[in-house]
Amino acid sequence: MSAIKSVDNLPNDGEKFDSSKVALVKGISLILGGGLTALFFILWLFLPGQMQQSMAYSWLFAVVFFMTLSIGGIFWTLLHHATNSGWGVVVRRLMETLGSLIPLYFILALPLLLPGPRDALWEWFEARQEMIQAGKDHSSPEHLEAAKAEWGQSVAAAEKKLAAVKAKKEKESATATATAGEKYNLEQQVIAAEGKLEVAKASEPTAEELASEGQLHANVGLYKKRGYLNEVFWYARYVGYFLVLGGIIYFLRSWSIKQDQTGDFRYFRWMRRGSCGFLPLFAASWTFVVVDWLMALDYTWFSTMWGVYLFAGSALNSMAILIAALTWLRSRGFLKDVVSMEHYHIMGKLMFSFVVFWAYIAFSQFFLIWYANITEETKFYLTRNTAYWNAYAIGFLVIGHFFLPFAGMLLRRVKTVPYVLTGIALWNLCMHVLDIYWIIIPERGPSLTQGKEMVIPGAIYFDILAFVAVGGLTVFLFLSRLAKASLYPCQDPRLEESLNLVN
Amino acid sequence: MKRAFAYVAEFDSAAAIYHAAEQVRDAGYKKWDVHTPYPVHGMDHAMGLGKSWLSGVVLCGGLTGFCTALFLQFFTQVDLYPTVVQGKPTNLNTVPAFFPVTFELTILFSAFAVLFGLLAFVMLPRWNHPLFGSKKFARFSDDGFILVIEARDAKFQEADTKEFLLSTGASGVELVEEEF
Repeated sequence: MSAIKSVDNLPNDGEKFDSSKVALVKGISLILGGGLTALFFILWLFLPGQMQQSMAYSWLFAVVFFMTLSIGGIFWTLLHHATNSGWGVVVRRLMETLGSLIPLYFILALPLLLPGPRDALWEWFEARQEMIQAGKDHSSPEHLEAAKAEWGQSVAAAEKKLAAVKAKKEKESATATATAGEKYNLEQQVIAAEGKLEVAKASEPTAEELASEGQLHANVGLYKKRGYLNEVFWYARYVGYFLVLGGIIYFLRSWSIKQDQTGDFRYFRWMRRGSCGFLPLFAASWTFVVVDWLMALDYTWFSTMWGVYLFAGSALNSMAILIAALTWLRSRGFLKDVVSMEHYHIMGKLMFSFVVFWAYIAFSQFFLIWYANITEETKFYLTRNTAYWNAYAIGFLVIGHFFLPFAGMLLRRVKTVPYVLTGIALWNLCMHVLDIYWIIIPERGPSLTQGKEMVIPGAIYFDILAFVAVGGLTVFLFLSRLAKASLYPCQDPRLEESLNLVN
Repeated sequence: MKRAFAYVAEFDSAAAIYHAAEQVRDAGYKKWDVHTPYPVHGMDHAMGLGKSWLSGVVLCGGLTGFCTALFLQFFTQVDLYPTVVQGKPTNLNTVPAFFPVTFELTILFSAFAVLFGLLAFVMLPRWNHPLFGSKKFARFSDDGFILVIEARDAKFQEADTKEFLLSTGASGVELVEEEF
């Protein structure tokens, strides 16, 4: 153990991020991000119908992948505060900055809300229109007329029945031979017939009832989910998610920066208390984001592990990008005095644990669906076992995403050598790109060709184009935001503990 | 018959024993240990301890469990007596059905390997230990910081070692003997 490091030896206002040292990377990412985004949207407007629809999937893939990085940034910040951690104070600003990119994805995902791409991605919008149309057809004036006529007949029949029972009662009571029991039975029959008439009169058919009946018969699954899967609520949720997620990271980051400037420990307590309350909000928002955007790509399919699956991937993903970003920043001369091998070791351990956690969740989801073999549930994996997607899943996800990094990170030495760990982190990032790709893209072919084709030819180039475009914008914004404040929280009360971290 | 077993040296603080440990390490002693009331961060480094080989034992235990589970399930349910459950095939494609047991057995065998490997490494269980006879040593579970150099160390000399321990800042040194 080297000598104790003291915060007294560090500059009072922390370490400024000098953008000019990374001007080249920043410039390239802006040109790539801005230029390719513009190119993508121009092509989107002018390409023929099917390719236009398939580009919606490309854009969703790119936006969701980079959004998982930001979501992971929010998660690690929250976890850091909620568990009162001391180890990661020196890298916490990177997590906050990563999380604060979330408004970018609000803007980038906006085009997907337009009816064209929206209906191409999420079939339930069109299915819902068809369902509503079926309801309208069923409640048309002719149908209503016929239903009313039928109702009139049933009322008449009930009246007739009541009259008959009453007549029988009159006749029986006139004869002296009727016993008390027989009289009682007749009395009861009259009461029952009166009741039936009341019910028949009350059930006069209305247009609303007929419409609901028509919708139910047209699409029972969507009708039962109409409280959740409807346009108004869907758009409201979209705004709500970003308000919650953006709000959480806005408060945490701005308190953290205010603490840098004022040195007031009050913010430290706010961040800690706030995070405990923010965590459930964060979990609920992200779960429903992926339910709305990814699970709803096929609205008839569902998995109760979906939110956790995407969360596990996001946390892994963003720990990997944090390690990679840290190494890159250090190679440019930043954070040299504050970050040590011990921090890498802990981040390596967290990345390792989330490789295992991701695999555990991904396998459990597959295993339960595969074993139970229920038609509604298996369709997700059936699509992804067709054509080359089967080899893709085994090769990239089972072996590449779990077995190789698991075996590679078992040794302790691996996690304490930054360049080796960064290599593994980059590998994990690539694998997670392929994971998100595997979640979204297999849905595209069958969805756009009504099940005729698995793959849209040439669409993969637009996937790559969208990925580079969103990636460029993400890198540019990340570097710009990094320059806004000190690279580490320089007035945090636990900074010294973090500096002298020992595993 | 009695013979020297070890020197027990007491220190007043964690910092004192930390620096003493560095000196003992640098003097080249091998058979020695430090006992403190609470974990002292960085002590393994100050003592010059290398990496424990326990992880290797655990890896072997885990691999044994992994292979045992896969072999038992494949041999009995695919090879010996093909068992069709839920219409699932009895060939390599059955492997996901075997994962839960494989996972559990890997963990079970790893846990056994940790427990028994650790017991073997520290030579437990045993009836008694000569250090238990020392009043000074017993204080490590209260407020004492204790450093022990055993007589079986090649560098151990009754007179020299005592002087050396005192020179590292020990507040008291006691010779513990064992019967044989």
